Amino acid sequence: MATFINSKTIFRLLVLPCLLLYSSIAHNSSSVEATMHTNNWAVLVCTSRFWFNYRHMANTLSLYRTVKRLGIPDERIILMLADDMACNTRNKYPAQVFNNENHRLNLYGDNVEVDYRGYEVTVENFLRVLTGRHETSVPRSKRLLSDEGSHILLYMTGHGGDEFLKFQDSEELQSHDLADAVKQMKEKLRFKELLIMVDTCQAATLFNQLQSPGVLAIGSSMRGENSYSHHLDSDVGVSVVDRFTYYTLAFFERLNIYDNASLSSLFSSYNPSMLMSTAYCRRDLYQRRLEEVPVTNFFGSVMETIHTDAAYKALSRKDSGRFKAQMSLDQSVHHHERRTLINVNDQDEILNTKAEDQQGASTCPFTSFYEKLRKGENVDSLVNYGLVAMLPLLGVSSWLFQ
Amino acid sequence: MPEISEVPELDSSKISDNASKAPPRPEFDPKIMRKTKPGLKRLFLTHSVLFSFLLGFPFLWKSVEIYRSPLPFREIDSLSTHLRSNTLLFPLHFHAIFIGFDSDADRLRYSILSEISKLTSQNLKCFNNYSLSVTVDSGSRCLRAPITSPHSCPYQCGSITAIDFDPVDDVAVDERLGSVFGRKIKEYSVVVVKGENERAVVGKYRHAWMVVGGGMEVEMAAMKVAEVLVKVFVNGGREEGSIRTEFMPVGADGNIVLSFNLLNADPRDWVYDWDFQKIDETLLAPMIGALGPVANISVESQVLYHTPKASFSYWNQKLESHVFSTKDLPFFVNSNEWHLDTSIAAGGRSKILQFVVYVPSAKECPLLLQLPNGEISKTNGFISPMWGGVMVWNPQSCLKNSENKTTARHAIPLQDLENMFEVFIGQFRQLFGFRSVNVYAGGSGIWNLVPSERGFTEWELDVLSRQHTCFNLHSCATTLASLSRLVQSLPRMIIMDEIGKQVKYSLEAAKLAQSNASIGGYGFSTTSSRQARSLAEDAFFHPSIMSVSYYSFEHCFAVYSPFFLPVSMHVVLAALRELKRYKQEKAKYLAWKAKANASS
Repeated sequence: MATFINSKTIFRLLVLPCLLLYSSIAHNSSSVEATMHTNNWAVLVCTSRFWFNYRHMANTLSLYRTVKRLGIPDERIILMLADDMACNTRNKYPAQVFNNENHRLNLYGDNVEVDYRGYEVTVENFLRVLTGRHETSVPRSKRLLSDEGSHILLYMTGHGGDEFLKFQDSEELQSHDLADAVKQMKEKLRFKELLIMVDTCQAATLFNQLQSPGVLAIGSSMRGENSYSHHLDSDVGVSVVDRFTYYTLAFFERLNIYDNASLSSLFSSYNPSMLMSTAYCRRDLYQRRLEEVPVTNFFGSVMETIHTDAAYKALSRKDSGRFKAQMSLDQSVHHHERRTLINVNDQDEILNTKAEDQQGASTCPFTSFYEKLRKGENVDSLVNYGLVAMLPLLGVSSWLFQ
Repeated sequence: MPEISEVPELDSSKISDNASKAPPRPEFDPKIMRKTKPGLKRLFLTHSVLFSFLLGFPFLWKSVEIYRSPLPFREIDSLSTHLRSNTLLFPLHFHAIFIGFDSDADRLRYSILSEISKLTSQNLKCFNNYSLSVTVDSGSRCLRAPITSPHSCPYQCGSITAIDFDPVDDVAVDERLGSVFGRKIKEYSVVVVKGENERAVVGKYRHAWMVVGGGMEVEMAAMKVAEVLVKVFVNGGREEGSIRTEFMPVGADGNIVLSFNLLNADPRDWVYDWDFQKIDETLLAPMIGALGPVANISVESQVLYHTPKASFSYWNQKLESHVFSTKDLPFFVNSNEWHLDTSIAAGGRSKILQFVVYVPSAKECPLLLQLPNGEISKTNGFISPMWGGVMVWNPQSCLKNSENKTTARHAIPLQDLENMFEVFIGQFRQLFGFRSVNVYAGGSGIWNLVPSERGFTEWELDVLSRQHTCFNLHSCATTLASLSRLVQSLPRMIIMDEIGKQVKYSLEAAKLAQSNASIGGYGFSTTSSRQARSLAEDAFFHPSIMSVSYYSFEHCFAVYSPFFLPVSMHVVLAALRELKRYKQEKAKYLAWKAKANASS
């Protein structure tokens, strides 16, 4: 154990100056164009209500706790919950929400600040949060006040399907709506990088229409697969956590605020046999390599700090004649040193790139027609054809039954 | 229908029965003949129903029409192309004066101009066009280049001599030069004079001076002049001239809220309060007035208790104090316990800058910040761009008042408060991209910068005006372009009149800003550009532009077609059928008539 720590520190000592040099060079060369990463935001959405969807609220609250523990403050978290579990009449433990059957952690215990609760969690409000188009009376705590240097974590959980996500049993969020909102966010420079994590059935289909650069998307299952819950709590009576979120939380429980595990180690910790689904990561829109990105870029807090060298001494002019020149000319910009990145797990990446292969070119014309329909490029013209075809059908039927 | 057609058949069958005895009548085939003229009632009925449907159709179309306020797309495009082609120019006039030298003014002018063009970077969003005039005053004669100076107040030869430059009192020299050049003139002047003590100072207004020793070549002086003109007067002391958005803390609606917070980490030890009102009136108000064109600033303050910090410090025996290092700075702000964002004055699109004074608890007192080179920081403070600044203030004596149980309530002494606010003004300048030290270290030497009571000198305000005007205009143009693309991509979205008005006013303000910039009216152009940006953002973020709320054409069709389509199909078919029947019956009648005429 001691030797392991020593070798780690030696490794850090050796790599640190090289990285510092590299980062300073990179900073100097690209300082004109690249914006500084100034803050982190988190938008956590639970799209289900009713008692039997307990696990979705537990998922969202667990991630909320994790993100707060790693440093993102409440003023930069937008939490959207139906919030009908803790005080539900069917809850045997009133005002308590658990994510494990050992009941060790009460997620609803203290300091939970829900921004959109109950019936306010709608597709329209969600899209308004993302695009920033609120009425003037909406308070600042309910707005996403990010800027060009923000990294945003967007986590959604609930019931979903092929290219949609169900909101509170009454409406749907479609993949093209989400892609459109992200495109408008990018045009208005409301984020520098965006990480979308979705824990629903067929989660990967929700990212099909995304096109904006700087977006990284992680889904818990591929098309045609379901995402399963982890275990049933026989005391509470319902499943209390989903598998994907359970393993994500297990990864983060091992981290603290000073750690620097990378995103690729997070993703490689997902084991398809344990998840019972294939976790999917869409990285073609994201320019950086996942091994270089620490998870605290999205899940923790970051504050770029610059030391103030001197006070501006024009105001108290008691001895007006003496103007002492401040000779402290040290570099006033102290960016804190780049930290080394270590992989928490040394397994190989279990990565599934976006599968574009349509295996087995089938010769049956119906399946080829079905494939064309599924690709859905000319959906509009198809619908128009259908409508026009309705007219002669009507004519024929009324002629026959005259 | 069958009954009616039956009647003539019966008639004709009776007639044919009777006619079997009578002489042979012409053959009456009821299938192709009829004896009576067909009536028009049925035709009239069906066609009137069809006609009423057709009459109502335009009213239906008008009722489902969506209102789209006309947006000036062409003007938006022309604004974008205008800005992209870099036609936003600020006119800058430079004046270099050499006193006690004896050289050719034209040659000096040429060398300074070439140095300036070397130092200016080319990939800027907004260009400036320079004009330079050089005066050489060698006591006996006075040379100018160019000969005809276009400026209003030319320098009078001989009004400045070497004895005016007191090496000790910079402020007095500054005032003297200000009275010579005039304080309100928009020209940047550099005076180079020969003297004993070498010194280079940039004043509060728009002039700088340099006292050079006897040995310095006039060419070297010219290099230094060019450097101060470009690096200090044009770029504001920054390395590159381009605009870094993390040093533009103005909100989208042109407002900034400065939120001052006094944090008592552990009120059981001591509680400190401050007289914020007085400080606000004396120290902050001038600075806020100076920045009026750039942003609309409002100030709030609060005092918080039980606010420990999140990072750790260690005891340093040599310094006899608790020390925290710059590595801990990113973790200093404990956002879970520090409830800073409770502003009621800030609207949704304003920017809030937090300025925090942290009073440590008795366990951690005194608390000092140690820099990486081992020194102790003079200010104990740091900033985070786009967030604000933090400063640690240690109480005078760190002895806890342990005799009585009641908490000691103190007020921060006025002198400490003034020092604190000097640090805050330094931090505020840092948030805008300026340095907090009053020295500029360039490639060819060091320039001292005279500070101003308003927090920003005149030339610094000019730099801010130029940069913010440029940034605001570009932001306005891109926002309006995005809005026009969005509106054109959603053809069935309602565009309210309010959006149309905001776009119109935004374009007008942008035009005004551009025209003011080209004549050099800095304050007006910045205010107009700020309004342009704010109106463009209001239009883009109008809450009615939500694509989810608007139905596509297919939806509209699907809603209305079950009402109208089956009924209209039947009506049309009935009308057609009646028309056909009428024609048939008419043909039958005509055929009978023809046959009857032929037979008789």
